[in-house]
This record gives sequence, structure tokens and C-alpha cells, in this order.
Amino acid sequence: MTVASQRLTASGVGSSSRPRRRLTAPGLPWILPALVLSVGLIYYCIAYTGYISTLNWDGASPDKISVGAQNYLNIARDPIFWRAIWHTVAFFVVTFVVQTVLGVVFAVIMHSRIRLAVLYKVVVFVPVVLAPAIMAPVFRQIFAADGQLNWLLAHVGLGFLAQPWIGQESTALPVIMVITIWQWTGLTFVLYYAAMSQIDQSLLEAARIDGAGNLRTLVSIIWPSLRGTTVALAILGAIGALKTFDVPWLVTIAGPNNATQFLGTYIYQMTIQLAHVGYGAALSIVLLVIALAMAIVLQLVGREDGGERAGRAARRRAREGR
Amino acid sequence: MFEVRRWWSKGILQLVATLLVLPYLLPLVAMVQGSFQGDGWGNYRDVLQVPGFFRFFVNSAVIAAGVIVIVYVVTMLASYGFAKLHIRAREVYFWLLLACLTLPEVVLLTPLFTTTQTVGLFNTYWAVILPLAALQVPFAVLLTRNFINGLPDEMFEAARVDGANSVRGFLYLVIPLTRPIAAAVLIFTLIGAWNDYLMPLVFLQSQDMQTITLVPQFFVGEFSNDQTKILASAVLTAIPEVVAYLCLQGLFERGLSAGAIK
Repeated sequence: MTVASQRLTASGVGSSSRPRRRLTAPGLPWILPALVLSVGLIYYCIAYTGYISTLNWDGASPDKISVGAQNYLNIARDPIFWRAIWHTVAFFVVTFVVQTVLGVVFAVIMHSRIRLAVLYKVVVFVPVVLAPAIMAPVFRQIFAADGQLNWLLAHVGLGFLAQPWIGQESTALPVIMVITIWQWTGLTFVLYYAAMSQIDQSLLEAARIDGAGNLRTLVSIIWPSLRGTTVALAILGAIGALKTFDVPWLVTIAGPNNATQFLGTYIYQMTIQLAHVGYGAALSIVLLVIALAMAIVLQLVGREDGGERAGRAARRRAREGR
Repeated sequence: MFEVRRWWSKGILQLVATLLVLPYLLPLVAMVQGSFQGDGWGNYRDVLQVPGFFRFFVNSAVIAAGVIVIVYVVTMLASYGFAKLHIRAREVYFWLLLACLTLPEVVLLTPLFTTTQTVGLFNTYWAVILPLAALQVPFAVLLTRNFINGLPDEMFEAARVDGANSVRGFLYLVIPLTRPIAAAVLIFTLIGAWNDYLMPLVFLQSQDMQTITLVPQFFVGEFSNDQTKILASAVLTAIPEVVAYLCLQGLFERGLSAGAIK
């Protein structure tokens, strides 16, 4: 499975440099269905969205008023848009860091021959499979003022911490983060688990003979050799943060008072609920540009010095017994 | 990874693991326990007796199956073309496809909304199947192309020397040899389609067309916010997914890991 992630960063398009093949059968008809379906449908939608984004239109009436770049200028001045951006950034940083730490810790622990490892793995991974839309009512219940979390707090003597978690601005966004972390740690864990199986065992043994303890091994050998996986997960997390819709929409309805507003929920509200279709389209284009830019930047950062260098460094450190 | 020899350090590690895993279990426990409050099994009986409850599952299955079939066929054809056949400006096409990887589906809402209504596909399965498939294909092609690239060219040439044209090469070499990667594609496409919320929410308006991800919302209306029955419906809709995962654990983990790097 990590092979997939490494391939994504390593050989996305690099295969063109191979020696020219002598196969002459034309391939265009073979790729045509994919091009028509994906490129056709998606680029058509993007172009159409781009056109709508220059309109002042409610989506139904025949009179579409062209307003040029006005929608984009309005976005730049829209405080809710900037709040959504801020939420997305905070959401990405927190969920990514916590998931990475938890994922690595779980993977290390499960690799250490503990009992019930299979059972633990299933418990951590099941949330990945469940639809956020189905779990949303459960979390609404858990975090409600009279919900299970407050009940639990009261029973362990922390009753003073009880509060309406999803009903107040200060805790609504953290709740969304917690739900997301709950949902996706399993995947982070499985990816790290696989990456760790590929670490050269003799390296670990050499380090141990040189007197490195468990923590030392984790920091100096295990963590550096997981770099490829971490980069892939960062890309996944960043794009996932930009796409966030289901959880804030279903658990907090992007509220209270926009406290959990994300770009996805804002576009949905604008387009479907308020019928500011032109404005929603302009927001969509902005979102698309951000997502593309982010993917390119992260891809470049990840490629700069891939796992190869990190792996060498780890081996050297292990040899030197530092 | 860690060396734990002494019994007490083993114990500590076991304890840490348990404490870390517990929070992942609690929401599931809360869900099941909440669904039994009040009427107990009666909650489940009420949910199952709602006319058309089964319909949600059928719709989700139809949509997932449609997406899987389209993605599989289109991906296999395209990956073979990209990896082993001659295409002028091949990488241009490939990049066009790859650029779709980052696309948030919410961007598609307005154009699809107006277009599906114009061509009469609104509130049909196609309005959900086609965009979902379109969004899954680029990544599936990326994975599968890499996989086919790894198959030796000599094999395909040998087949050609023996008189097999590219269609036969596809049917007798590509299809059987790509099974491992096809399984991964199948799983992440299945999960992506089965768990999708936004597309059915917008494009499937009539009740008999809706999917399981819309069930909680439906029951908020049906039972005027009776939480216990909503939770019972959540448990019932989660069961197929959990069972499928438990039966095909390895496949799910591999497939979702492969599909995750979108």
C-alpha cells in the first residue's frame, strides 16, 4: 500500500523517459472513454462554473446579469470567506499533527507484539469505513448538552467541564476536528504500519547493539524512514481539509454563527440555500485554484528530497551509533 | 518495533494501547447503546417497518455498482492505452486527467444542477453515478497505469509475435494480470460511492431514489427527532459496511490506503 504512495510521488509522469517502444498500435481509442468521462465532464463543469462566476444569477430566472469580476472582488472583502479559510488552515494543522502522532504511535505499538493487536486494529480502522453522514447523528448526540460526553465527565468527577459542545462557538470547531481525527486515524495508522514493515530489521538491531533505546530508535531511525508516507498523508490531509463538507454540515450546520464554516459548506449555503449561484460559483473557482496550487506545492516539497536521503541519513546515524 | 522484554514494560505498553484505543470504541458503543434506549428492540422494529426503508439500500447498491462498473471498464482501457500503446502527446492527456484529482465535488454542483435538469437526468441514478465515476477515474488510472507499466514489455511483444492484436492483449494479459490493483480500485470506488453524501443530497430529490447516507435526515423528519430511532437507523445502515470490512479486512485496508492518496 505504501508502494502506491511512493509511486504517486516518484513516478507520476516520469515513465515517458523510457526507451521508445516498438508497439505501434494506436492507443488513443483506448483512453478516449476516460477522457470523455473525466476530462470532458469535469472540465466542462469548471468552464461552466467559471462563466457563472461572472454573473449575478439566482440559478433559475432567465435574466442573468453579467457583473464581470465583481463576485471575486466581493469574495476578497467577505469576512465569512476569510473565516472559512482560517478554519480550513487550523483544521488541517490540528488534524494532521494529531493523526500523524497517533498513527505512528499506534503503528509502533502494534508492531511490538502486544496482545489483542488484531482487535485493536479493527476498532481503530472501522471508523474509516463508516460514512460520516451516518455517524453525524451519533456525534450530535454524544456532544449534546445532555449527551454522553458530559455524562462521562460528570461520572469521573470532571462535571465542571461539562458544556454544550456543539452549541457554542468556542468548542464547535474542536468538535469537528475530534470527529475527523476519530474517523481518519485508522488510515494513517495502516499506512504507517505498512511503511514500518519495510524498515530493515538489521538497522534496528544495529542501533540497539550500539545502545539506542526504544525512543532513540523511534526518533532517529523509524520516523525518518516514514517520510514518504508522511508527505503523502500531508497532501491527502490538505486536500481533504479543503473538501470538508459532510461533518460540519451535518453536525453543526456550519454554525453556530459560522464558527464551523468551511469553503464547502459556504459554497453549498450560497448556491443551494441562498440561491446566490454566481457568488457560489466564484467561491468554487477560488477553492479549485487553492486546491490545485496546494497539490502542486506539496508535491514539489515532497519530491525535493524523498525517502532516499532520509533513509541514508538514518543508516548513517545508526552506524555512527549516535 | 519496540523491544519490551520485562513483564512490567509489557504491561505498560498494553495499558497505553488499550487507553488509546478506547476513545475509538466509545462512539460506536454510544451509537449502539443509544439505539436501545426507550423501546429497546422496538426502535429497530419501528425503523424496519417504515415503508421504503429497504429502498435506501437498493439505491445505494445500484449507484455503487454503476460507479464501480464504469470506473473499472474505463480505467482498464485507459491504463492499458497509457502504459503499453502508442499515443502522441500522451503525457498531455495524462496531465489533463491528473489535474482532476484535486477537484472538490462541491465545485460541480451548479453546472451539474443546471445541466442535469436541461437534459432530463435530474433525480435519476445517472446524475449521481456519472459525476462520482468521473471523479474516481483519474486516480484509478494513475494507480493502474503504474501497475501495468511494471509488467514486462516483452510479454506484450511475445503476444504480438504470436499474432495477438491489442484487443486480445488486453483481454488475455491485462485483465487477468491486473487483478491485485483492480481489487484496490474496486474497494476505494465502492467506499467512495457508498459513503458519498453531497451528490445524492443535491441530485436525488424524490424519496424513493435516495441513498443510505440520507437516511438520518429522512428519519429526523419521519420520527420528529426521536434520537433513539435515528440511532437505530444509523446502526442498521452501518452494519453492511462493518460486515463487509470484517470479511475483507486486508482488501479494505489495502484498497483504502491506495485510494487515500488522492
